[in-house]
Amino acid sequence: MAHSHHSTAHNSHSDLGEVDSPSTLITVYVIILALLAATVLISMSGSLGRYTLFAQLAISSIQATIVGCYFMHLRHSDRVVTLTALASVFWLFILFVLFMSDYMTRHMVVSG
Amino acid sequence: MSTTVARGTFTPTPPPPEPAPAEPNYLNNGYGIWSWLLTTDHKRIGILYLVSITIFFVVGGIAAGIVRLNLLAPDGAIVNEDTYNRAFTAHGVLMLFFFLIPAVPAVFGNFLVPMMIGAKDLAFPKLNLASWYVFIIGAAFGVWAILVGGIDTGWTLYPPYSTRSSQSNVVPGVFGVFISGFSSIMTGLNIMVTIHKMRAPGMTWGRLPLFIWSMYATSLIQLLGTPVVAITLTLLTVERVAGIGIFDPLIGGDPVLFQHLFWFYSHPAVYIMILPGMGVVSEVLTCFSRKNIFGYQAVAWSSMGIAVVGFLLWAHHMFVAGISFYSALLFSFLSMLVAVPSAIKVFNWTGTLYKGSITFQAPMLFALGFVVLFTIGGLTGLFLATLGTDIHLHDTYFVVAHFHFVMVGGMVLGYFAALHFWWPKMTGRMYSDWWSRVAAAIIITGFFLTFVPQFILGYHGMPRRYPNYPQEFQVYNVMSTAGASILGLGYLLPVCYLTLSLFFGQKATGNPWSATGLEWASPSPPPVFNFDESKMPVVVCGPYEYAIGIDQMGRGLPEGPSGGPSSPASTDGQSAPPGPMNKETEVVG
Amino acid sequence: MWMFLVTEVLFFGGLFAAYSIYRMWYPVEFEFASSFMNIKLALINTVLLITSSLTMTLAIRSAKLGDRSGLYRNLLLTFALGASFMVIKGFEYAHDFHEGILPGAGSFGGEIRSTAEAQDLDTGKVRLFLVFYFIMTGIHGVHIIIGLGCILWLVQQTYANRIPPENYSTVEVVSLYWHLVDVIWLFLMPLLYLAGAHLSHH
Repeated sequence: MAHSHHSTAHNSHSDLGEVDSPSTLITVYVIILALLAATVLISMSGSLGRYTLFAQLAISSIQATIVGCYFMHLRHSDRVVTLTALASVFWLFILFVLFMSDYMTRHMVVSG
Repeated sequence: MSTTVARGTFTPTPPPPEPAPAEPNYLNNGYGIWSWLLTTDHKRIGILYLVSITIFFVVGGIAAGIVRLNLLAPDGAIVNEDTYNRAFTAHGVLMLFFFLIPAVPAVFGNFLVPMMIGAKDLAFPKLNLASWYVFIIGAAFGVWAILVGGIDTGWTLYPPYSTRSSQSNVVPGVFGVFISGFSSIMTGLNIMVTIHKMRAPGMTWGRLPLFIWSMYATSLIQLLGTPVVAITLTLLTVERVAGIGIFDPLIGGDPVLFQHLFWFYSHPAVYIMILPGMGVVSEVLTCFSRKNIFGYQAVAWSSMGIAVVGFLLWAHHMFVAGISFYSALLFSFLSMLVAVPSAIKVFNWTGTLYKGSITFQAPMLFALGFVVLFTIGGLTGLFLATLGTDIHLHDTYFVVAHFHFVMVGGMVLGYFAALHFWWPKMTGRMYSDWWSRVAAAIIITGFFLTFVPQFILGYHGMPRRYPNYPQEFQVYNVMSTAGASILGLGYLLPVCYLTLSLFFGQKATGNPWSATGLEWASPSPPPVFNFDESKMPVVVCGPYEYAIGIDQMGRGLPEGPSGGPSSPASTDGQSAPPGPMNKETEVVG
Repeated sequence: MWMFLVTEVLFFGGLFAAYSIYRMWYPVEFEFASSFMNIKLALINTVLLITSSLTMTLAIRSAKLGDRSGLYRNLLLTFALGASFMVIKGFEYAHDFHEGILPGAGSFGGEIRSTAEAQDLDTGKVRLFLVFYFIMTGIHGVHIIIGLGCILWLVQQTYANRIPPENYSTVEVVSLYWHLVDVIWLFLMPLLYLAGAHLSHH
């Protein structure tokens, strides 16, 4: 609701030039499905061993980015919106990194 | 009012004539309970919040009274241990979640943000009303929890005690906090969008009053932090209700994880409480020293700095909770970092006061109190952020005194400064100048007497939250309770004279303090849509041009409260140059 | 709206952070428990959700172009896909209840329990995974239901012809929300269902 309520003011948003064609959207859709197949196959085979998790998360992130850019129209949005989206990623990063700073080093006992 | 004069043909006449009694404003625009309960006017919603949080402040204050009275004697003077636990928890929960967090953002943020940036209302007026209802529903749960017996976990609700052992009403209490959190998110969202989208023409980011900057930073924290505590409390509730959950050590869960998640919100939450106070102080100090703020950009950016850095240091609450040593080192370092933007602010406020024409009205007294007490509170925070000293001081009265200096000495004084500064704007009435100064003096004195002994107590090792203590601590505890009584008296005074002012107070002019902000360009109390429809404000300069004596629309200031000419412009009969001012600084593109 | 999405991201972020920590601590038990999840149903559900995202985007396209019947059709399709997701989810939960794939001390049982005990795994930690499974999918399900409600409302708005092409912001807001819920599922899928896929029991 943040920006869109006011989007009537700048009608460039509804320019037909910015409407994705169905073929683009369907291509995007197929790519996401292909990625899904990839992640499932990787996981089932277990061939990557301990790197499976990283592969899975990497694929999920790529999917999320594609959804963000194409389905959620981040490609066409103004800077504030992009910044907001990036802020959420940044704060997630804070959350994870600082959590891990505790949990990954907790077993290291300081002696002396 | 004055807005009938077209800008440009403006003449620096003294303050606009008082609005005729029948002039419509937001207060007389409809009477009756529904005109309030269904209002979408941000000013009325601000008043609704003001009334509700005052109630919680009183109840929380009573709980604090019980705690302090009980500590008069080493083995508990008036209540048993269980009641004592419930009393300090009620004090903590009510004061933090239902008073401090909504205090400035919801009351003054609601009331002032649209006025200060020259808008008719917030971006989402209905969402704003909804936020008040959500707050009230949350508060109802909180009150229910207290009425049926209270909670005894402390406001931090640590498991496994809160999930397994506590025999008190954790679930409704947690639910209340959870719900009121959404109200906080809604307000934050609303204010943020309003600041982005609804600024008056000419109100660039570099011309925003610093209160707006601090509200922006506050809203950022509300948006980013509150959801994390919401999920945490959900998990806590699931664990308590279902008997199984992720903090349960019996199945390999980690109770410290709750503390991580909890403090990820609750530490930034203290900046939700303090940042708006800092914004208020920037407004009040400039007005009563008749000077531009020293280092506008530094103050604005330090607000944002605090908002961001505030998210990086939560684990300093957990140094002795079993977190990793290396992590503790990191968090200790990061905690020191937040002292930097805070110190920048204090430095700039001092710089603002330097060589200013200072007058000591009540808002100024409260703001100066804020600066002093916040500095003490902040500096003692450094003791606690240091790993070694924290092990000695952790969970002692030193901590209690520290955060009361910041929260009460800082935020409550900031709140009172705001209340006294904008009261004439909100109600259209002036309060007693003498009594308000007396109240400020009493509150600050009582405050020192209450909490300085607690530093000593804590340093000598008296743990917080204990109902009993050794004999030798009694003298400090008695001093502290005595101080608390003075403080309580000090709080009663504003209740009295502010209420009286509603009925007998002198009518306030549009700009009684001769201040520069856009909110003062509107009559007191403001009309329903804040400004004259045909003449919405156009901003031509920065927010604190006291030195050349013009407000943000480039018009001369009226006479100040201390009598006598307050600005060169109003005496010289010179109107400020129209068009962009040289002081304008573009902070954000 | 994006600011609201940020709060949603952080809301789930807390859950994901907690999950990651336990996953790191107890990888064996978590992968073991995950191998009892029904990958087939989850896969179908993922495809359903991704498809619903596509139809939602097509709905916006129709709204922008003023194609009312297209908007109507795409919204209904999205709703149908989302509803099927929930129905399959329901079957999956029913299956879990039936098989004793439950976190409670008393209700935890069946094959998952006997296998865990046979492999000498800490059943507490297996149950911990199940707590995450139910809370995460449960909260996600609540979001889906809210989303479905919003879509229904849009359908009604379209029917009443209240969505002009020059102001389709309501559609856009709901679609953003719907995509976010979809994206969250894209992360839940590997973390909950695929973590133990290579241990296949089925």
